[in-house]
Amino acid sequence: MPTFHSTALGKSMEYWSCNHSKSTSKVILQNTKSEREPQQKCDQPLEKCGTNRNEVSEISDDNSAVQGKKKGGKISQGNLGRKNLHYEHTGYKLLPSKLQEGDRNVAISTQTTRRNKKRGKWHNEEQIHITVWKDTKPEERETGEDTQGKTMGNWFKVTIPHGRKYDKAWLMNTVQSHCIVPFTPVDFHYIRNQARFFVQDVKTASALKDISYKICDEENRKISVFVNTSAVPYSMQNKFTPEQMEQLKLTMSKRYDVSQQVLNLQKLRFDSDLVGHDIHMILNRRNCMFATLQIIESNFPELLSLNMQNNKLYQLDGLSDIIEKAPKVKILNLSKNELRTTKELDKLKGLKLEELWLEGNPLCSTFPDQSAYVSAIQDCFPNLLRLDGQEISTPVVIDPDAPKLIKPCKESYKGSETLKNLVLQFLQEYYLIYDYGDRQGLLSAYHDEACFSLTIPFNPKDPAPNSLCKYFKYSRNMKKLKDSNMRRQLLKHTKHDIVDYLSVLPKTEHDFSCLMVDMWFQTETMLCFSVNGVFKEGVLFAVLEAEGKSQGCVHAFTRTFIAIPTNNSSICIMNDELIVRNASRDEIQSSFSIPMPALFSTSMPTLSQEQQEMVKVFSTQSGMKLEWSQKCLEDNEWNYTRAGQVFIMLQFFGRHNIFSADTTSLFERGAEDRTRAAHMPGEPLPLEPHPQPQQSNLLMNTKYYFKSQRN
Amino acid sequence: MGDKPIWEQIGSSFIQHYYQLFDNDRTQLGAIYIDASCLTWEGQQFQGKAAIVEKLTSLPFQKIQHSITAQDHQPTPDSCIISMVVGQLKADEDPIMGFHQMFLLKNINDAWVCTNDMFRLALHNFG
Repeated sequence: MPTFHSTALGKSMEYWSCNHSKSTSKVILQNTKSEREPQQKCDQPLEKCGTNRNEVSEISDDNSAVQGKKKGGKISQGNLGRKNLHYEHTGYKLLPSKLQEGDRNVAISTQTTRRNKKRGKWHNEEQIHITVWKDTKPEERETGEDTQGKTMGNWFKVTIPHGRKYDKAWLMNTVQSHCIVPFTPVDFHYIRNQARFFVQDVKTASALKDISYKICDEENRKISVFVNTSAVPYSMQNKFTPEQMEQLKLTMSKRYDVSQQVLNLQKLRFDSDLVGHDIHMILNRRNCMFATLQIIESNFPELLSLNMQNNKLYQLDGLSDIIEKAPKVKILNLSKNELRTTKELDKLKGLKLEELWLEGNPLCSTFPDQSAYVSAIQDCFPNLLRLDGQEISTPVVIDPDAPKLIKPCKESYKGSETLKNLVLQFLQEYYLIYDYGDRQGLLSAYHDEACFSLTIPFNPKDPAPNSLCKYFKYSRNMKKLKDSNMRRQLLKHTKHDIVDYLSVLPKTEHDFSCLMVDMWFQTETMLCFSVNGVFKEGVLFAVLEAEGKSQGCVHAFTRTFIAIPTNNSSICIMNDELIVRNASRDEIQSSFSIPMPALFSTSMPTLSQEQQEMVKVFSTQSGMKLEWSQKCLEDNEWNYTRAGQVFIMLQFFGRHNIFSADTTSLFERGAEDRTRAAHMPGEPLPLEPHPQPQQSNLLMNTKYYFKSQRN
Repeated sequence: MGDKPIWEQIGSSFIQHYYQLFDNDRTQLGAIYIDASCLTWEGQQFQGKAAIVEKLTSLPFQKIQHSITAQDHQPTPDSCIISMVVGQLKADEDPIMGFHQMFLLKNINDAWVCTNDMFRLALHNFG
């Protein structure tokens, strides 16, 4: 691996001491091209190619270095005019925009691209190095490079490694907002993984150096900013003369249709007017694109549609300025150019395009099928309506009001309504088992690695509220529980532990009529919501067992769930935190207020003869007491079959996995919901008006339904 | 073994810090939130540090005192901590009310910040 030394770079250089440089395949090279040595063999690329340009580029691995050598040889014979040594320059690679001929651009770019693909990735940088390149030998710097002899002041090149992954607008906004000196970036472009732009004066440059590592991206990685002196940025070089600009404006005006606000810049290079005046508008060149956009900005600011067909465009760095200069553009025609990847289109992301033409670009054939192509383009331009002349379906728009922690995944839900329903359904099924079923049935609701804990508030003024004393031994209140072992034990981990523990907790009946569910947030990977309400201890029907005894104690609770999606479009719990507290008087009085059927008095209401018959039979078959049979039948509007189905369903809940989005919710009283229960596995539904005697398990199973606490 | 698991330590100290700030000078609460934070206050949602601090400082009381009666902390799948707090509060001369609050804490740049905060008074609501 070649090493390079500061001698080649002039004095007072601190080096980019990449700690990984020995182990990774990245090597940072000094810019190796010099107009004095066009014929370099580049065996020792770094030693020989010794200009004092302080361009820094990388070659990622030895292969490409080797390639580079070969190509360097070829390229060096090419037309490496002085002005070509600007961006991204190793002597092996030249951005083709620097070459004279438009066609040659294409050829070289192919090679470049190939090499790019072989390159490895940047390592995740944990390095905290700030390289300050104080200066180079200034006299060698600019003068030879600038054909027009313009030294346009001190220019500095600002590099942001890994900058390619950031959206240009976001990046520049962030950088500009943190930089104490306001500035306008010039010639922003992406090069390999980096983002680069130029600024003009020393104050800006130092201000920018200062913000390195002080700004963070959305994933909280620090962003580094490197500032080096540089030659004049390309668009500032070779500026067109005022006369040329005037001619350009005239030509463009001829191509502008005022009524439609369409500017047709097809094949601009070969426009006879321009050629006649010896103006070569090679739009791949930064200065040409810059000039074009300048004219658009000053003369056609209302531009709606821009046609850049057939201009051999292979990169859109220059065109990205259109976002600022002609923001109203809605229609863009880039067909029949040389765009190879959608990454080029990413540079235009700020444009709210409605119509785009891309056919005839190499990138179009890189997709497996039409819909992959369309959706890739839609990712860049979410509001796009037409692509290549065809209408495309509008993508899902995410509800902007939903609280977001991270941008939610589009596929995972179609809006907060669906999510709410999912959660509600989940909770209904959960509490049905929790209250009425065997809590072992909750195993499928929990993830293998789930956590659960229960806490009771400790109120010093009211030391031992009797009603909650049952829970105390299960409580993991940090304030009370000092024993860390106990604490650890009481944080239940793994679904089996949790469910075993839940089975031991007192039986409950939650008041579903006033349960409040708060959706906290959803991310791509998890969903958090909490449930507030009250529940009664024991089962409601305990009243009948011991008349005169007060109703089961009512407690208030808050339970927070963090859930993750499962394969079968449902959710399972990862974290479950339950707090049980004393209910206030208001809460008690207002809970369970839905009037109980008159059933709960000891006298039987009058039923018709037929109904009484039904009740008797049901009671025999199910083994339930007459009162309960009546209740069940009443609830089901005296539809015997349906009542039976419901009854059986309740029994099976404890044993079968019902956590799927399709499961019937039993709390809705609609008829269709009940009949849907037919899909439940288990025994067929045998209850008919005069059937055979029931199996004995029915009898046994009814007991848990009706008895109070079973500890 | 007197070792508390790390999430409990972090959760407890966060809770202590939070209510201390809240009771003494809630304008300083901005430090524990980030721009991606979300607060749900009695069902209303506020996103972003600025909005959250604005809501908290604009609450209609001068003095506030919180008394925590229960707290619990759990680690979450993505290395965050979820903390649940139940307690009582007294604002100005109002009667004491119960409340519960939940925090989701995340480690960002070696500091634990609150990314989600949910507060409810212990009143019973009917849907």
